[in-house]
Amino acid sequence: MAFRLQRLPSVRPEIAVAAHAVAIGLAFVVGGIAVTISGHNAFTLAAKVLTASFGSEFGLEDFGLLFGPLMLTGLAAAVTLRIGLWNIGAEGQFYIGAVFATGVGLFFSGPPWLMLTAMFLAGGIGGALWILVPTLARAYANVNEIITTLLLNFVAVLVVNYLSTGLWRDRKQSVLGATARIPYEVPNLSGSLHAGILVAVAAVVLMALLIRYTRWGYEVRISGANIFAAHYAGIPVRSRLISVMLISGAIAGIAGMLEVAGTVHRLQGGISNNFGYLGIIVAVLAGGSPIGVVFSGFVMAVILNAGIILQAQGILLNDVLAMTGLILFFTAIGEQVAHYRIVATHVVAQEA
Amino acid sequence: MELLTGILFTAFLAGGVLGLAALGEVLSERVGVFNLGLEGLMALGGVTAIITVTIVPNPFVGILGSLAIGLVFGAVFATATVLFRANQVLCGLALTIMGTGLSASIGKNYAGHPAKVVFEGVAIPYLSDLPVLGKAFFSQNVMVYVVFIVLPIAVHFLMFKTRHGMKMRAVGENPAAADAAGIAVMTIRFWYVTIGASLAAAAGGYLTLAFVPSWSEGITAGRGWIATALVIFAGFRPFNAVLGALAFGIITSLGFVGQARNWPIAPAMLSTLPYLGTIAFMIVPVFVWKRMQQKMAAPAALGRPYFRDER
Repeated sequence: MAFRLQRLPSVRPEIAVAAHAVAIGLAFVVGGIAVTISGHNAFTLAAKVLTASFGSEFGLEDFGLLFGPLMLTGLAAAVTLRIGLWNIGAEGQFYIGAVFATGVGLFFSGPPWLMLTAMFLAGGIGGALWILVPTLARAYANVNEIITTLLLNFVAVLVVNYLSTGLWRDRKQSVLGATARIPYEVPNLSGSLHAGILVAVAAVVLMALLIRYTRWGYEVRISGANIFAAHYAGIPVRSRLISVMLISGAIAGIAGMLEVAGTVHRLQGGISNNFGYLGIIVAVLAGGSPIGVVFSGFVMAVILNAGIILQAQGILLNDVLAMTGLILFFTAIGEQVAHYRIVATHVVAQEA
Repeated sequence: MELLTGILFTAFLAGGVLGLAALGEVLSERVGVFNLGLEGLMALGGVTAIITVTIVPNPFVGILGSLAIGLVFGAVFATATVLFRANQVLCGLALTIMGTGLSASIGKNYAGHPAKVVFEGVAIPYLSDLPVLGKAFFSQNVMVYVVFIVLPIAVHFLMFKTRHGMKMRAVGENPAAADAAGIAVMTIRFWYVTIGASLAAAAGGYLTLAFVPSWSEGITAGRGWIATALVIFAGFRPFNAVLGALAFGIITSLGFVGQARNWPIAPAMLSTLPYLGTIAFMIVPVFVWKRMQQKMAAPAALGRPYFRDER
């Protein structure tokens, strides 16, 4: 009896989910070993993270403040995956969405509901504008969107730093490195948790419905699955590509608006908390499915929250970032390994 | 004149970081593997070099340290992308995220201190006294000559003048045909991806020992990504890659000069130049040099894992 590996063209969904779960588990094991080597007890730390996140209303609210934006940036990356593209620039779109929303909030005034609506739209428009050049370059000149969207992240960081420490800096209370407090706030649900998380859930549901049940969504999925077939069938691939990318940018921009208007209340450097980069991992773990983003966003929120909680224990946010990289790495391998199954080879043919 | 000398001098120094990383990526992409982890490798190489020279105060040992860490992480990346055939984009992003996070936490005790030893410029007698270009061309540190002269010649010779180089390119263009011709596709891919990663890490060592020279979190500032873009712009050719790196060195250098001379542009806006320049460099050629497109095209199998059973 001998065995050999057989490659399957497609993977059953439950196996794909299991492969992702194993990848996350393995990353935790490696992280746990690293933590143990550095002289901590991994299980005590894990228990600490869980009680601090879910053991109190306080913890839950803080957790929600991470969960909301991660769902949105994850969704932003997930929709482009559906058409076979990568938006690695959610970080930058997040920042520019925050910039646009802050600009509207600081320099215009009106009734709060109107101003919040205007800031919401401005955030979306800002995010979409930030991805416009990479989108058009991809659509009309086939320029690699991974690199262009990513490079604009660095530009966005510089723009935010320039505005928050220069042109728009707080001149009333002289808060260093930030703009003045924006007078309009996203209403709170409970304690510090604002309504942004509801917007995130609504966006996820909306995108899931659009992709699943509309002609637009069907055409996007076909273009992503086989671009040649899509062309042949007369699907306007280029226009679908442009719409998907702009929607993705807008979603990330809205996440930035909610962060600045709901959580931070001022534009300042570093408000994105790496949400844009972590969103890529959220989207990959979700396999590009909007509903999947809810689950993987939850996992990523636990991890990011762990990083924040464990800072007091001498574990840096950067260690946690390194571990999310490990998760992505194992997931990439796991997705391939899931394609194989072990079959028994019979030694019958040899006799002839 | 002095201004021009200064700009060129800094351009070579700054461009060297990009050139070294881009040469590594040329090797990797020519055998068909898209490595998006340069940024992370560069960060790891940079911090390793700084830590190495605090133990052994010799910049060459520092670069060796970067090369070694690059080999380790390059081998991990190659194992995933070549042997396991995992998605190259995903693994590259993972490497970037991992490398950025890991280097920041390893290097937290070294952040902000000047490098213990650095690569000093060596003035070549007589030549460095030439007006204008003398100082810029002939008084650089050793690494600059390695990156702009020695390595491009070596890589060009290897890829285009040897039998082995032809095999490399065959693996990147059509692995199935190469395999049928008896070329060890997996071995060639594995080693050149690993060596390419090692060069990218060395670029980090160059950054922290010759250019900045110190370590701090986020010091790579997107240079790995710019190098990745440069390879596409260079049509996957080593000499074009270092020339492109020099062009970016000039852009970076102009930004410095602008800040030093108080040009009426905000420094933050000058700092955006390399990023916006890269994007422009990626888009413009498509429209301007339409005819070059075919000659400069990417290796046909770039980004596609090779499955023998699907041949």
